[in-house]
Amino acid sequence: MKLLTTLAWRNLWRNKRRTLITISSVLFAVFLAIMFLSMEQGSYERMIDSMVKYSTGYIQIQDVLYDDEPSIDNTMVFDEDIELLLNRYDEEISYYVPRLQNFVLVATENTTRGSMLIGIYPEKEKKLNDMTDDIVEGTYLEPGDDGLLIAEGLANILNAGLGDTLVLLGQGFHGTTAAGLYPITGIVDLKVPEINNNTIYMSLEAAQWFYAADERLTAIIVMPENPKRTNQLAGKISDEIDSEWYNVLTWEEMLEDLLKLMKFDMAGTMVLMIILYIVIAFGLFGTILMMMLERKREFALLFSLGMKRSKLAAICFMESVFITIIGVISGIIVSIPVVAYFYHNPIVLAGDMAEAIGEYGFEPILPFSADPSVFYNQALIVLVLSILIGLYPVYKVFKMRIMDVKS
Amino acid sequence: MKTVIKTTDLTKIYNSSVAPVKAVDKVNLEFGEGEFTAIVGPSGSGKTTFLNLIGGLDKPTEGHVMIDDTDISNMKESKLFDFRLRNIGFVFQSYNLIPVLTAKENVSFIMLLQKESKAKMEKRAVEMLEQVGLSEKVDVRPSKLSGGQQQRVAVARALASKPKFVLADEPTANLDTESAFNLLDIMSRLNKEENITLIFSTHDQRVINRARRVITLVDGAVSKDETFDR
Ligand SMILES: Nc1ncnc2c1ncn2[C@@H]1O[C@H](COP(=O)(O)OP(=O)(O)O)[C@@H](O)[C@H]1O
Ligand SMILES: [Mg+2]
Repeated sequence: MKLLTTLAWRNLWRNKRRTLITISSVLFAVFLAIMFLSMEQGSYERMIDSMVKYSTGYIQIQDVLYDDEPSIDNTMVFDEDIELLLNRYDEEISYYVPRLQNFVLVATENTTRGSMLIGIYPEKEKKLNDMTDDIVEGTYLEPGDDGLLIAEGLANILNAGLGDTLVLLGQGFHGTTAAGLYPITGIVDLKVPEINNNTIYMSLEAAQWFYAADERLTAIIVMPENPKRTNQLAGKISDEIDSEWYNVLTWEEMLEDLLKLMKFDMAGTMVLMIILYIVIAFGLFGTILMMMLERKREFALLFSLGMKRSKLAAICFMESVFITIIGVISGIIVSIPVVAYFYHNPIVLAGDMAEAIGEYGFEPILPFSADPSVFYNQALIVLVLSILIGLYPVYKVFKMRIMDVKS
Repeated sequence: MKTVIKTTDLTKIYNSSVAPVKAVDKVNLEFGEGEFTAIVGPSGSGKTTFLNLIGGLDKPTEGHVMIDDTDISNMKESKLFDFRLRNIGFVFQSYNLIPVLTAKENVSFIMLLQKESKAKMEKRAVEMLEQVGLSEKVDVRPSKLSGGQQQRVAVARALASKPKFVLADEPTANLDTESAFNLLDIMSRLNKEENITLIFSTHDQRVINRARRVITLVDGAVSKDETFDR
């Protein structure tokens, strides 16, 4: 075995330049693929992250009907039983955040617009999504506050400022009309344009009063101590909760459509990478083919001396695998610092690009993913490829007739 | 003297597009232990074909090759590979050495495949390189050796594993006169010292008289079989 490995290894360096070029092409392909994937996965992770942070949380407890028909009528009662249940899992739950939210019409003297009105416990909400640093004007909410914390984008659209009064109009519990006048006590920059143009926060008590929905919540957002154990925790809560009234959802269930869309989008990248890999495969195959053709006399010599076909085949196979392994490893080594850099310093887009992306409701930055799968998936794909290519010389060696290659 | 190789009605016919060629034609020969024999004849007389047949590299159209008591003409390929590895040493006209291995590694190659112990192999390889006058070139790769030196390494390899016999197809064809004589002298000496049967083909008049038996082929058939006392 050592002999075969030695031979394969030394054979690689008989034509140094060719081998290096082939290795470089593998390196380049792996590097490009990692960059693509890291960027794509990075923006997904970011999207999921901000969805989880700003809107869904990891786990939500809702009324059973709310998921199908999100209305104020399908809100849940937040009673002692639920609180006790959540307290029992204190060790596994980092914190939980109650919310009462619905769409309302917001009006000033000149403008009317639809917006999400979210009732929050200011202190609890802070743990999930600390907005205090993003307050542009005014102050954050206090418990029982009667003022509004309004997103900056919406404030601009409404042309309203601190201290102005807004008219809120919506549907309350069981068909009542919810209406009220509220002053703006704070303006916050919510970053993601889609959210920034459409969100108003008020204290939970004020919201419950506004919607005439005492004690009611649209959802309790539960944040696990360890997000990786989200499903287990959701399962446990689900087992104990009264399933006639309550429904426990994980972020994967809540964001199902988005996740599907991402998978679909991933397929596009895959096609691009397959094309990239096919080009590389041809290059590699060309090198392997040349290495076969130019060594026919050597093969004849080895056969004559009594080296078994399987051994010679193993040498040729190793040559192909060595080239790719070196290429893959160096590709990964080269991309690690680049990915690490952009992971910590995401590219900030400017100008038209930023606007275009902003319109879709995403932050105008290109984050990178440092997930290990980005790396080992590449390694795996290229390795499988090299094994397939390596099978060609194996096949040839087994078919070769000594007398045909001897002279 | 013990017979090592025996051929009976050994025949090889090539079906070329023009007409079938009888490259080896009903050859009946015996080779004894320790022989030093030259197969001579003009180009195209069938020397290479004959050596390929008795070396188990090619299959006869008719007839048999017996090595000791083994008929190799009908042997399965995988067995034949192993048989060659254990019993036959080869020296070819050119392209004898594995380019990526040093002289010592090339000489050790057969023993490596035979899974000989490292110490024994090492000792034998160095000893054989000394025997062919290349103790200075132990760690040199073939591309740094002259044609004559390369052929000497090939001879050292062929004999290092102590095979039953060694076949050398025109080993001097690409060498200048001095190197050719030198190679034949070494072959002749090792043949005596190691008592290994050595058969070489040549159409080179310069070296024929080194052999103790000379078999002449004409159109694939044996036309003369002479023995000399030298
Ligand atoms: N593979 C082959 N196919 C067809 N004819 C061949 C082949 N090999 C050798 N021959 C023919 O067989 C004859 C003997 O060739 P060869 O054994 O090479 O002779 P030598 O080694 O004495 O020069 C020649 O006429 C040659 O043309
Ligand atoms: Mg010949």
